[in-house]
Order: sequence, then C-alpha cells, then structure tokens
Amino acid sequence: MQPISRVSLGQIVGLLKAVDEAGGDADVAEIGRSVEMDLDALGPIVNAAEFLGLARAEEGNLTIEELGRKVLNAGLRQRKAIVREIIKELPSFQRLTERIQATGRPATREEVLAAIEERFGSHNAPSIFNALIYWGRYVELLSYDSRSERIELRQPSPPAA
Amino acid sequence: MTKKKVILEVNDVSRSYFEGGKEFKALEHIRFDLYAQDFVCIVGPSGCGKSTLLRIIVGLDRPTSGEVLFEGKPIEAKNPQVAMVFQSFAIFPWLTVEQNVELGLEARRVAPSMRAEKAKRYIEIVGLTGFENAFPRELSGGMKQRVGLARALATDTVLLCMDEPFSALDALTAQNLRDEILELWSDPALPPDAVLMVTHSIEEAVYLADRVIVLSGRPGRQVAELEIDLPRPRNRREPEFYGWVDDIYSLIV
Repeated sequence: MQPISRVSLGQIVGLLKAVDEAGGDADVAEIGRSVEMDLDALGPIVNAAEFLGLARAEEGNLTIEELGRKVLNAGLRQRKAIVREIIKELPSFQRLTERIQATGRPATREEVLAAIEERFGSHNAPSIFNALIYWGRYVELLSYDSRSERIELRQPSPPAA
Repeated sequence: MTKKKVILEVNDVSRSYFEGGKEFKALEHIRFDLYAQDFVCIVGPSGCGKSTLLRIIVGLDRPTSGEVLFEGKPIEAKNPQVAMVFQSFAIFPWLTVEQNVELGLEARRVAPSMRAEKAKRYIEIVGLTGFENAFPRELSGGMKQRVGLARALATDTVLLCMDEPFSALDALTAQNLRDEILELWSDPALPPDAVLMVTHSIEEAVYLADRVIVLSGRPGRQVAELEIDLPRPRNRREPEFYGWVDDIYSLIV
C-alpha cells in the first residue's frame, strides 16, 4: 500500500458527508452509485480516509470513525489543525522533514524522489512525492516551489482571531 | 421584523438576438429582487438563457429591454462589489495562486499596497494557505475553483454570482465546496452578503438555496419563484428534500 495517496481533503470530506447522510455507515458500492463515481475514482479516496483514520472499511462497508466525525463537524481552520496532527505522525512525512532538518537546507525534488524510489520503487515514486507535497502544503508544514523544485519547512500560520 | 435590504433588482429583463432581420428571443420578462442574506438559485433546462441572464446581471451583457439595478443604480461590469465565479475557473495557468488573486484585485482597481494583504487573507478564507506559490497545474479542480472564489471575494464582494461553479468537479469535491460556500455565506463577518447562482442541477438548487427561480426553455421565461423552507443542514436523502426536487422537475419537464 502507498504511504499516502494524492486525493484532496475536499474529496475525503465529501465522502464522509455522503456516508453521514446515509446514516453514518454505508455500502461503498452504494455511495459510488449515488455520487456517480466508479471504484477507480472512489477507491483511492476510501483508502485515504481509512489511512488517515477518519473512516473504517470492512467488507465493502464504510463507517465514520470518531476522528472523521471531528473533521466533519469542524470549520475550515479547525479541520486543517486536526489533519496536521495526523500528517505529522506519518513515517514517510517524518522522514522528509527530518531530512530537511538534519541537512539544514531545503531538499530538492530529485533527492526526495530518489529516497522514495528506494523504498517504494520508481513506478510509485512520483505519485507519492506529489501526495507528500500536497499534504505537506495543505497542513502548512512544507513549502514547495515547483520552479526551483525545492522543499522547505514552514511554520503554520497562527489561527486568525 | 425589519424589512431586508434590497441589493439587486432585475426589472423586466428581456434579451433578444437579431439575425437577418429576424428576432430570436433568449429571455423574456424576467423580474425578481435579491435581498441581503439571500441565497438564490436560477434553474432551468439548457438553452433557457440562465447564463445569459447572469451575464446581464453582472453587467457583462446588456438586456434588449428592462434594467438591472445594484443598490439602486444601473449595474456596471467594473463594480467591485459584484463578482462572478465561472464553471471553467477562468484562472491564468502561468500565474501562481497568489498572483491570480492579486490580478483580480488589480483589475478591480484595488491600490497596489493593499493587494498582497487582501490576497493573503482571502487565500486563507478559501483554505488555500500553503499553496500560495502553486501554479494551477499543481492544483485539483476543486482547488482551482477555490482560487476563482478567492479572487471573486477579495474585493469584499457584496453579491457573489456563480455560473455552474461545481459542474466541472467530481461529486465529492462539489459537495464539500457547496458546504464551504454555505459556511462563508452564513458568516456575517465575511463576504458575500448574498449569492446568486445558476445551475442545471435541481438537487443542487434545493440543497443550497433559500429561493429558487425556475425558468422555462427557449425563450427563458420565469415559471416560478419558490421559497425552500427546509432547515439546514439539508439531507438529500430525506423525503421532504425529494418533494422539492420533484416539484421543480414537474415545473420544467
């Protein structure tokens, strides 16, 4: 399994809402029909929701977990703070931030891709890289400049009054 | 109860196109008012002129007869208090998120010294902080539409007009964005004061709107104006919800 997939939090929250509307527990195939998405499209979103601990999939049935309920009830800002705590704990994300801390300079895309390739193979590396960048940017712990291809650590902006 | 403030008046708007001495009617005698705190959806079959109507309302097109008043004055396209979000996102691929939002502010004649700060604030409001320096190619469809939204709201917009803003997005992304738009609209501290949205999805209109204006096809005529009194948040699986959807279907088909 990939360490994390490049689906957006918006899609995950959309999925949780669809399950919630169905009573907090729903058949994945039924959700797929109701939102007109096939398994190719829906699968990675279900996996990501499960991977982040927001929902539990069992025998084709999807149930919202307590953490998923918290995300669902939160406003935009609180949602980001909750997801930040989850992302921080992911080993693949920690390896990346520790590398930047240890070297004391921004990491390059090339270096990070090479490190991912070593673990997960070259076939998966670009999509894992994109996922790490997406989630790192979203939770405001990484900044990435696609022109210089450099990745830096970032301090999340303080919660606005 | 105090009477709500009228923001927009659509007074007997008709629009025709003339070709070879013949008149082709697109819209006929559209009239409604929009108040502060309104969320109004315009629905109708394809070809009913609903997008044309929205373009007239924001001042991008002119009616053949009738008029549109914003806060009592004829609407002008350059009015910074009325903004539009498009189905196709309408963002520049060679500019970053931040630059796209700032360009919108420049076009609306916001002073250069104010632009960066305003852009930052609205990027935060739509949940794109972290992606300021990303180019559109690095963004999902939902995120591109957030850029469009940040740009539309950044002039402290009073009236947000949206033309099928979710129809290019997958269903899950769309549902999440609908709820975020509702969150913005219902927050009195944040713009917009009112939303006017065109959609071909009756379900979407019933999910979002306080009022739904139903147009018939070719030429677009107003066949009904319905007040959707369902409590929020609305559940699309409830029978009352479907009752409304069925009612509107029967008006159009």
